Amino acid sequence: MEVSWLQLVPLLPLIGAAICGLCGKWLPKAWLYAVALVSVLLSFLIGLSAFVRLSEETQLFHQLSFNWFSAGALRVEMAFSFDRLSGALTLVVTGVGFLIHVYSVGYIDEDPGYWRYFAYLNLFVAAMLTLVLGDNLVAMFVGWEGVGLCSYLLIGYWFTDEEKAYAGRKAFVVNRIGDLGFLIGIFILYRQTGTVNIAQINSAALPIAVATMAALCLFIGATGKSAQLPLYVWLPDAMAGPTPVSALIHAATMVTAGVYMVARLSHLYVSAPGILALVATVGVLTALWAALIGTSQNDIKKVLAYSTVSQLGFMFIGGGGGAFFAGTMHLITHAFFKACLFLCSGAVIHGLHGEQDMTRMGGLRRYMPSTRWTFLIATIAITGILPISGFFSKDEILAQALHTRAYSFLTLTPGGSTHLTWLGPVIYIVGSFAAFLTSFYMWRCYFLTFSGEYRGPEGLHPHESPAVMTWPLWILAALSVVGLVLGLPQAWVHGSALQGWTWEHFSEGLFAMPRGGWPAEFTPWQGYGIALLVGWAGWACSYALYYKRGLEGDEVLSRDVPRLRRTLANKFYVDEFYGWAIVRPLWAFARGLWRVFDAWVIDGLFVNGIPALVAWIGALARRFQNGDVQRYAAVTALGVAALLYVFLVRG
Amino acid sequence: MDFFHAHQPQHYLVLAALLFALGAAGVVLRRNAIIVLMSIELMLNAVNLTFLAFSRFPLVREPPTGSFLSGHAAVFFVIATAAAEAAVGLAIIIAVFRSRTSVNVDEFDTLKL
Repeated sequence: MEVSWLQLVPLLPLIGAAICGLCGKWLPKAWLYAVALVSVLLSFLIGLSAFVRLSEETQLFHQLSFNWFSAGALRVEMAFSFDRLSGALTLVVTGVGFLIHVYSVGYIDEDPGYWRYFAYLNLFVAAMLTLVLGDNLVAMFVGWEGVGLCSYLLIGYWFTDEEKAYAGRKAFVVNRIGDLGFLIGIFILYRQTGTVNIAQINSAALPIAVATMAALCLFIGATGKSAQLPLYVWLPDAMAGPTPVSALIHAATMVTAGVYMVARLSHLYVSAPGILALVATVGVLTALWAALIGTSQNDIKKVLAYSTVSQLGFMFIGGGGGAFFAGTMHLITHAFFKACLFLCSGAVIHGLHGEQDMTRMGGLRRYMPSTRWTFLIATIAITGILPISGFFSKDEILAQALHTRAYSFLTLTPGGSTHLTWLGPVIYIVGSFAAFLTSFYMWRCYFLTFSGEYRGPEGLHPHESPAVMTWPLWILAALSVVGLVLGLPQAWVHGSALQGWTWEHFSEGLFAMPRGGWPAEFTPWQGYGIALLVGWAGWACSYALYYKRGLEGDEVLSRDVPRLRRTLANKFYVDEFYGWAIVRPLWAFARGLWRVFDAWVIDGLFVNGIPALVAWIGALARRFQNGDVQRYAAVTALGVAALLYVFLVRG
Repeated sequence: MDFFHAHQPQHYLVLAALLFALGAAGVVLRRNAIIVLMSIELMLNAVNLTFLAFSRFPLVREPPTGSFLSGHAAVFFVIATAAAEAAVGLAIIIAVFRSRTSVNVDEFDTLKL
């Protein structure tokens, strides 16, 4: 249905950003907060009212804002479409975004750049909504780049700190590598289908080679934005930004853009089963890789950052298994509990006056009860030791991966189909191990932070945050619990009122069916049993190591498996490897370009060479202009004689 | 037809060309500004001679409009212009001589920037 109000959803935060950014410095603080918060809240309310009006008859709200540009047959519109998937994402972005705005009021209040901060935050929400709602790939790309820009601006928010500014640059550059893939993907799709409209691309019948190339390029974009192997390195460094930013951008919303894009283009991806297998493989490897690193980090935000990378890996396992609904469901539940975890860590850091090192925390449950309880709830959600939101969504992903029929290569053997049967179970096993590690490191994080005795310096009194910061925590914690409804298995809720709330039922028909068809019905009990066992096993290991002994647990590990522990603490030396393999050669190459090409060719030949040539010609010409009229007359006479010769004798 | 035996326009034209060349050489080579002026007069009179020659030996049988006396008319204009030019030129030379005490054109190079 064509509507006229949909553009308000991204436009309101954009206006808020403009007001905050242009006049924020002169506005009273309370007004600025009002502008920033109300613009996002209004966006949320519009999204909510649209969401409840979606029905069987109106599956989609659409608005064509304006024709952006057209060239030849290419027509790019700034158009928005609001269906159940983009609607749900809109609610997550604006809802979680609003809570984080509220929290930020308490967090950033004392910072002199607060107006800049809120301008960026609003701009981010606007860009993310453009990404989510854009009905064509170019509009999506605008949002895609917009969130990248805001991410850069906010990571380097404290730009006077060289290291933080560097982290911002790193995020930007790494993302740029992925964005190139995204762009090439758009070009391939446009060349093949003649359109950039997502709905039309999804309904186009693409040859498998084209679909594979396009899906691969787009997935490269997704690995950049969603921090997957091998482009995940920017996300842990992105923790240099203010903690609410880490919660909003680097955990809850922006980094899920890749997952969203894969789900949005599900029809394209299922027609490229090889890429689906690649997506799932990259996802599971990232999940394992980041979880391993997460076990040995001491910075509380780094643990959460690696946890985010790992959880994004799980989402890609869902998408790669053809179970797009599972991937997006985990995206939504993860937004709740990971935002909660990050905001809790922000409260801890705030309460400890900037301390981020878990070795100097401990025993905080006595000082900050609200933070402790909400962190506990969110930790339970992510580790899945009790069946609340994260448990269901993660297990759905693993179960779907185990039974998936997505890797059917129909065209490779005419008349038959080759089915990669072993990949699903392997992913299931590795993914379950990653889930075990998740449970282990998250409980380690919890125990080191909130249990035991306080290890910080004397005289520093940890304090609970103001109410404006704790309320968002409680709401997010509540959402982490309530989110379990999304993931209830169909067998349990069949026919009951709850069925309409489950994501699998709700998103029916939104996503493409994998080539091999849906997996056969499977009973949830067995999978849930294993998942619970895995979660509790992680908890038990963590409890045994860290609950009573605190930091000694790390010492035990360092003693028993020193090499492994050192490798993990140094993040597999990936940054060092990239530095050695890519950054250093690039620097050398750039230095060579500077010394040779820039200094000699650009500066020497062009910048200085052309004026030198002009000066030389001028010096030559100057010798003819000596002010001697007789010389002029002589030259004129010679010229006339030459002309006469040409015209009279030769002519 | 032999150049030296018949009464022909070529004779006048060659003489005019010689005079013109002499004048041009004087303008280009001589250092004295007054001589330069005189050389210009010589060139102008060489042109006058060609006008008169073509008036006497027209290249067409019938005059296009009226007579062939238009050559003579042009010569009167040239003489008038030359007189004016000589007056202005001599005045300039006198003015320059007063400021520089020289009429040597080699020293007059203020035309260059």
